[in-house]
Amino acid sequence: MSTTTAELAISTRGLRKTYWNRKGRHVAVQGLDLDVPIGGVHGFLGPNGSGKTTTIRMLLGLVRADSGTMSIFGRDVPRHLPQVVGRVGAIVESPKFFPAFSGRKNLQLLAEAIGRPRAVVDQVLEQAGLGDRGRDKYRTYSLGMKQRLAIAATLLKEPDLLIFDEPTNGLDPAGIREIRNTMRSLGEQGKTVLVSSHILDEVEQVADMVSIIGHGRLLASGPVADVIGDQTATSIRVGVADLVAARRVLTDSGLLVRQDGALLVVMGAGDGAQITRRLAAHDLFVNELTPVRADLESVFLELTAEEGLETAGLPR
Amino acid sequence: MIRLTRVELRRLFSRRLTVIALLGALALTALMLFASYQQAKPLSGAELSASRAQFDQARKEFDLNGAQQVKDCLTQQAEIRKTQPTADLGCAGMEPTWETWGKPQAKFATLMPEILLGGSYLMAFVSFVIGAGFLAAEFSSGSMANWLTFEPRRMRVFASKMAAVGLGLAPVTVALLGLLTAGVWLIVGHFGSTAGTTAKVWGDLGEMGARSVALALASAVTGAAIGVLLRHTAAVLGIAVAYLVLVEAVFGQALQGVRPWLLTLNFQSWLQHGAPYLVEVCKTDAQGSYNCQGVEKILAFSHSTTYLGIMVVLIIGVATVVFRRRDVS
Repeated sequence: MSTTTAELAISTRGLRKTYWNRKGRHVAVQGLDLDVPIGGVHGFLGPNGSGKTTTIRMLLGLVRADSGTMSIFGRDVPRHLPQVVGRVGAIVESPKFFPAFSGRKNLQLLAEAIGRPRAVVDQVLEQAGLGDRGRDKYRTYSLGMKQRLAIAATLLKEPDLLIFDEPTNGLDPAGIREIRNTMRSLGEQGKTVLVSSHILDEVEQVADMVSIIGHGRLLASGPVADVIGDQTATSIRVGVADLVAARRVLTDSGLLVRQDGALLVVMGAGDGAQITRRLAAHDLFVNELTPVRADLESVFLELTAEEGLETAGLPR
Repeated sequence: MIRLTRVELRRLFSRRLTVIALLGALALTALMLFASYQQAKPLSGAELSASRAQFDQARKEFDLNGAQQVKDCLTQQAEIRKTQPTADLGCAGMEPTWETWGKPQAKFATLMPEILLGGSYLMAFVSFVIGAGFLAAEFSSGSMANWLTFEPRRMRVFASKMAAVGLGLAPVTVALLGLLTAGVWLIVGHFGSTAGTTAKVWGDLGEMGARSVALALASAVTGAAIGVLLRHTAAVLGIAVAYLVLVEAVFGQALQGVRPWLLTLNFQSWLQHGAPYLVEVCKTDAQGSYNCQGVEKILAFSHSTTYLGIMVVLIIGVATVVFRRRDVS
């Protein structure tokens, strides 16, 4: 089923950005096609340096795209960004405010700039759990408080779309849980939350949908269970005394097997019982059978491997 | 735009650098007033007695040898006038008189333009620092990116920031220069003389004051523009100091031809409606001897107006283009 631009909070087509630095040319984003539907939490997953932050910066008009198109709520950006920016709250990388001003003063300035009444500042500070620290200078805040202040700032606009770029970076477990809850709650309120992260677990825990990006290109996109689940639930680690014989048996059964130390990792296995049955039939008895929970690195490697096959014109 | 400018004005005067710089300017204004008090205050009883004793001694000396001294002076002057017809060795004023002896009386009409010149330089510098820090700090702290996610129309953002430094610092300059003028008026009026402060003197002071405010305003927006280009307050100040030391002091002294293009001389010319400067002219005369002579030239007001105007427009123009196009991280 295709989604029209009007049903999308964010859409990019052929988005491209190249940086030049002392080391030479670096393609940060190369032809990114990204769709973020309206409503819910959408994970924007990719390893560090994959182009997530650059994409977000381009969407927010902070960085110029070399080519491609972008839209937010169906309006072309950056051309029509002033018309939609009031519906977008964003935290790009770490929160950045004036360090010598209090949290409250920072928010007051922002509220005044967008014509919001000052009373809103106290409301959002309360909402973000900073009611009692609002008058303290920003530079005295802990990382978690800075992140909360940034969230409070995004709420000044009453946005429909919230963009959080690596929101849990540097936070302690309590802070991470708090931020996750905030994101989930915003998603449940019907707002669209785009959360970029390089941590698979984080996205799995909060997002309904996910887009995985690598080397500036979209590798996969869809519901979290489909995209990440496909990549994580299919590998099984097998412990057996005779690794060579076991590997031959499983390979002959059409399974993809690789050795990982004193164990075998069977990819695309689906069912562990099938493995034990086949090995037992050859008098090979399993002493360990563990479903492998993939980390982002392996999902990413698998996706880029698939991408490599595709780009090489080989069948998938 | 008005709303944004209002916000920027609030931010400008909430900044620590602004407060410190303005308090510093206030302290230096007080120092200038103290200096004018030192210049205007009459001699103490002890100083007066000492001065009287010195005068009596000089008078006695003149009574004894004055006639001969004047005669010698006139002879020497006549000799010099053979080659320099306008030379004046001051022979007519050799006789000491109590009216001209010792500390001269301070006069507002002669003292104020000098003090106003100092005050104008001070406010131009303070405005430059405040303007540079105002914009540069936003880039170095990263808060510019945050700001632009609330108001992405960059030209509006840029214009509001420029307007804030200009509008914010112009009245401050007026207030400080006004304070300086009023202070000197009261001090000199009490200890010296305000006689001769004609309408023309006030008119000239008013014009100079207006040009001082314009210079402070231009310094503030130029500082802000350079802040946009360099993105670090320390970098702006470092370059400003390096310019003053290397270009104004070293290069400017070594190469006389560049003097009309030095900023400080142009500031002086702009403030004083033209400024004198010395150029050393060396030549070999008919007798074959090589002589150097300091020749006074005048840097025209129109020259400094055009030059400074072009500089300001150029710097702000480049900063505008950069602010509009540069990626913000």
